[in-house]
Amino acid sequence: MLRVEEHKSPQHNLSCEKFLNPQRLYLPLSQHTGRPSQACVKPQDIAECAQVIALEDGHISARLHAPKKIKIISIDDWYHPILKKAKCIIAEPIETEEHKFIPREKIGAIGKEALLQIIRDSGIVGMGGAAFPTHVKLRPPKKIETLIINGCECEPYLASDYRLMVEKLDEIFKGIEIICKIIEPREVIFVVEDNKTEARKKLHLAFSLKKYKLPNFSLEILKTAYPQGGEKQLIYSTKKSKVPSGGLPLDVGCIVHNVATCFAIYEAVYFDKPLIERLVTFAGDALVSPKNVWVKIGTPLNELFDKGVLQFKTEPKKIICGGPMMGIALDNLNYPVLKGTGGFLFLSKDYLLGEEGPCIRCGSCVRECPMSLMPTLIDLASRNENWEQALIYGSADCIECGICSYVCPTNRRLVQSIKQAKIKTLK
Amino acid sequence: MNKLTVSYSPHLHTNQSCAKIMWSVFASLLPAGIAAIFIFGAAALWVILLGVISALVTEGLLQYFNKKKITLSDGSAALTGLLLSYNLPANSPWWLVVIGSFFSVFIGKQIFGGLGQNIFNPALVGRVFLMTCWPKYMTNFMKPLDAGINFFKSFNYDAVTAATPLMMAKEGKAVIDISYWDLFLGKHGGCLGEVCILALLAGALFLLLKKYISWHIPIIYIATVGVFSWIFGSKGLFSGDFLFSILSGGLILGAFFMATDYVTSPLTRKGQAIFAAGCGILTVVIRLWGGYPEGVSYAILMMNAATPIIDRYTKNRIFGR
Repeated sequence: MLRVEEHKSPQHNLSCEKFLNPQRLYLPLSQHTGRPSQACVKPQDIAECAQVIALEDGHISARLHAPKKIKIISIDDWYHPILKKAKCIIAEPIETEEHKFIPREKIGAIGKEALLQIIRDSGIVGMGGAAFPTHVKLRPPKKIETLIINGCECEPYLASDYRLMVEKLDEIFKGIEIICKIIEPREVIFVVEDNKTEARKKLHLAFSLKKYKLPNFSLEILKTAYPQGGEKQLIYSTKKSKVPSGGLPLDVGCIVHNVATCFAIYEAVYFDKPLIERLVTFAGDALVSPKNVWVKIGTPLNELFDKGVLQFKTEPKKIICGGPMMGIALDNLNYPVLKGTGGFLFLSKDYLLGEEGPCIRCGSCVRECPMSLMPTLIDLASRNENWEQALIYGSADCIECGICSYVCPTNRRLVQSIKQAKIKTLK
Repeated sequence: MNKLTVSYSPHLHTNQSCAKIMWSVFASLLPAGIAAIFIFGAAALWVILLGVISALVTEGLLQYFNKKKITLSDGSAALTGLLLSYNLPANSPWWLVVIGSFFSVFIGKQIFGGLGQNIFNPALVGRVFLMTCWPKYMTNFMKPLDAGINFFKSFNYDAVTAATPLMMAKEGKAVIDISYWDLFLGKHGGCLGEVCILALLAGALFLLLKKYISWHIPIIYIATVGVFSWIFGSKGLFSGDFLFSILSGGLILGAFFMATDYVTSPLTRKGQAIFAAGCGILTVVIRLWGGYPEGVSYAILMMNAATPIIDRYTKNRIFGR
């Protein structure tokens, strides 16, 4: 692991703003790992705020809700950051006022199964990026020993998890209590990196007050490094146990939840509020000022510029959905915010990558790879279409964190060709 | 909105570049070159300049005629030329330098496909070629100047010559009247860049601090040479003068600046340790029982050849396996 340039300032210290009144909403049916959900509304239908507009398809899938009172315009292909184009419910909000969610009563009395049902019905997915349906993750086939709460947010620029920890820590803890009630772990570890100054103070305070009912609760402050927030790295850093190659965290008795997911669980259980908004960091040197903004899921980027929430300082040359290390480059501003999107970056020409040179075998990628692979040799094998060789050097275990390309002095596009090998060897 | 660039992640990058690394290594070698000029006079300067310029010209012409992108600014050709000149006597005739540089860049590097593709250290390929073809010139070392005398005589093959300390040791001259201090400062015959250990160590320290090289290869290499020279001393086992064997010859130059060449050394630390130990053992074997008084260049070249196989057997253990 490596300390990469953080670029967290000034986002870390910016209070959250709100932008909850877009004119159009684009809600892709596939915002999660697993099968796309199935639309249960038709064009011209009116849906109330928080009404289900698409149902899950099979076990590993997630519901979709109307973020506001909306009129469905069409169900058509639209821009999708990951899939490029995908089926999407296109809708028009018909009410500017915010819906009031009524607090649920007698939360302590709700049983395990009922809680799981609420989480499933709220369409909650992992909000750290992978967007795996949370209700599936909370019903593990094995006993979970350790619940790890991931507050690392190791991607440069992004500050949405950090702001959430600073502004909504109490709510996050209530979300964790619910998770504990469901999976009954032996211990809970809340992990943050040491660059999360303000959040650390609040966490220490919460820890010393012992306000929350958490089994064997401990706080772990890790060294700031990338990719510290990766599941396998996080479990290794806190528990010193290695998730076996091709395995899952639960193979070592662990489960990892992102802080934003905990917050979403809190809202679902305490207010019956489904996952319809999230905190997103907008940053990058092409913006006049970066912002952390609460937006409705489905808000397209261009609305934020049209409404003056964001302004360009210089011409952007790169727009990225996600963080700079693993994010996806976009080709226009029509892309919507998804459940798993923690940020968007707008970068000027200074961030365009230089020309690719030959590998000089400096070994930086080999030394820095958090999965201990041989990136440059996988790259070589991949370029020669020698997939077997690529597999020997570890292509199947690549987590695509981007460290190898980040450190390469000759700008080799290592992740790209390793990904190619990964796809080929999976078949 | 104008055109946006869509490329694969990551979108962030260190400001490290190949040119930065190469020119840093180049700069770290300069103290040794300056020391050589003090020791051998202007002759050393001309050999160094000619070595660098002819390497650059060779690379430029080859890339031009092969219709490849001309990459002289990445510093790799200049570095090869510099290292080659450091491996020559200060009194080399001018054509020897030019042929050596040409051979280094052409056969040592470009014929394999250019930067990053070569199996052997290009500068050493050039040196060994010259050793084979013109041994007379390559083993005729100029005597260090007495202050100021003949400072400006260049390419002067007829200079007063002196055997290197290792040559004297090989010939069995019992006591060599040279102190460790003189060895350390470079007041003796030898290739122009290898003599001043002090200057070389200053450059090496810079590279280590900048993390352009790691300690693994040089320290293990030098330690192996020290230990084996001590064990197999001329007066029986465990009687060798290990300090002498470390300070004489091209070991310091080779260990810090040539064995550490990225392209021709193994990728992993484990591999590098094996590589360095191999270099050390081969160096001692050649010095003690081989036909040459010095074995650093042959040892490194042989281990260069072994690098692919070392890489194959020392690959990292994948996380979670």
